[in-house]
Amino acid sequence: MENEYRPHTLKMSKMTEETPDVYTIEMDSKNEGRAGQFYMLSVPGVGEAPISVASGFGRNLIFTIRDVGSVTSKLKNLQFVGIRGPYGTGWPWKEYDEVIGVAGGIGIPPIRSLLEEMMDSGRQQDLEVMYGARTPSDLVYKKDFGDWTKSINLQITVDRANAEWNGNVGFVPALLRKAHLSRMAAVFVIGPPLMMINTVKEALKLGYREDRIFISLERRMECGIGVCGHCNIGEHYVCESGPIINYSRVRNDKELFL
Amino acid sequence: MESAFVAISSDFQVYGAVERDGDVIFDRVAGFDQVSEERSRYAPKEFLMKRNENVLILNVESKKAVFGIKSCDLKGFYLMDKQIFGKDPFYTQKREKTLFANFVCSEPCNGGFCSSFGGPVLDQYDLQILREGEKFHVMVSEKYDRYFREFKKETGTFYVDFSNRFNSKLEPLPVEGIEKRIKWNSELWKEYASACISCGACNFECPTCYCFDLYDDGNERKKEWDSCILSGFTSSSAGNIRKGLDERLRQRFYHKFVYFKKSKDTYLCTGCNRCVEDCPVGIDIKEVITYDYNGE
Repeated sequence: MENEYRPHTLKMSKMTEETPDVYTIEMDSKNEGRAGQFYMLSVPGVGEAPISVASGFGRNLIFTIRDVGSVTSKLKNLQFVGIRGPYGTGWPWKEYDEVIGVAGGIGIPPIRSLLEEMMDSGRQQDLEVMYGARTPSDLVYKKDFGDWTKSINLQITVDRANAEWNGNVGFVPALLRKAHLSRMAAVFVIGPPLMMINTVKEALKLGYREDRIFISLERRMECGIGVCGHCNIGEHYVCESGPIINYSRVRNDKELFL
Repeated sequence: MESAFVAISSDFQVYGAVERDGDVIFDRVAGFDQVSEERSRYAPKEFLMKRNENVLILNVESKKAVFGIKSCDLKGFYLMDKQIFGKDPFYTQKREKTLFANFVCSEPCNGGFCSSFGGPVLDQYDLQILREGEKFHVMVSEKYDRYFREFKKETGTFYVDFSNRFNSKLEPLPVEGIEKRIKWNSELWKEYASACISCGACNFECPTCYCFDLYDDGNERKKEWDSCILSGFTSSSAGNIRKGLDERLRQRFYHKFVYFKKSKDTYLCTGCNRCVEDCPVGIDIKEVITYDYNGE
């Protein structure tokens, strides 16, 4: 049996600062994971952190990371990154004719990989993306927005505007009203707990089907392979049944949005 | 028994329950007559899951045979298997290379409640040994049948009769349906939390608890037994989802009686009573099963 815990070492080819506390790293290798899945990235002597893949399947591996912990604060300075995965579930976009991706804050990377995968399959017309951040300076991938807008309906909002901002102001869930796709569309939601709660509520209110809402779960994860026991939400281990899961499977779980 | 033991010894490193300085532990043994029938002080979880090991190096393990593990402790591995076998390479390799010869208790032990989960005659085993006076009855799995070819096969209802007798002596607790009766907001969790000192002994003693922590220590990345009772278990850069000790105690009992039942269709408890015996403040998992949640 392979030692699943032993990471591979990949060379980092590029590092870009997105915001004061968010950066993007690109590897000199291809992504074997699907949008929504994650890899365990490691810094020797410090530890590992689960990071969602930000690029589409088959493209160069890209991760966008918020500098919040012992591992995530050090990854950007590495030349070589320890990596294992991909793990977990991905967005089931192939099963649906229409998809609305809704991302709050640092939830955007798995929607970026979704967009790339759907574009690579020539299905960009079936996707709309709603993205919100706290302030204009918290928005990541600003340089990509122009390109994205050429192929999809991209709606962006900020909770608090600044002087230069002339776009939407308000919370992400409200953006759902700007969707053009039908109410049969699958809704993929990822972001902080409160944002997900409100987006799911809004989607249901607008008439989207509950069994077509997928959310991305987040918990402390250590092993990534369903054995260390840290990431359970009810009977589900997030690394195994998630991170992407159908909302109707977990809606009654008492620890769902914490 | 001794001749089968010798045959097994030629293929495996043999360990057995032995008394050392007043405690029963597992150590190398040279003969079946050296194996103690007393229950070991600790569940021998370390044969498959070391307290602490470096996961960056997966060594090839030697084949081991372990004599004298009690049924309740062995059953813990069969339960863990459902979640971690085939996924964790360290556990899986050791599991495949270890033969367990479990002793079936002839009498219920003080405090144990194994009959609530089927009793000491297991339906999964490698070698299951049941003493009747000076005679040993042995149930052998297909995998190890070769060591017992020359022995008389047990026919009839000996094991079933024994099991029924044992379980009627030790009345099973009303565990069936606990996953529906148990209450999320029960006062029981707060009551336990007011006494619990977060030592984690219940987890470390438990033959079914499999959770571990993964952390870097110099050049090593270590996998070490973890406890869901400790406050760090779920803390991350996003905060801690179970800040309260009552929430963490509830997680432990919900994992055993609700979550595992839902995902694997069985309870994650063998009735060994180890967590009760070693709890410094007297929390009794049996009460979680028998408590009148409706009466609150």
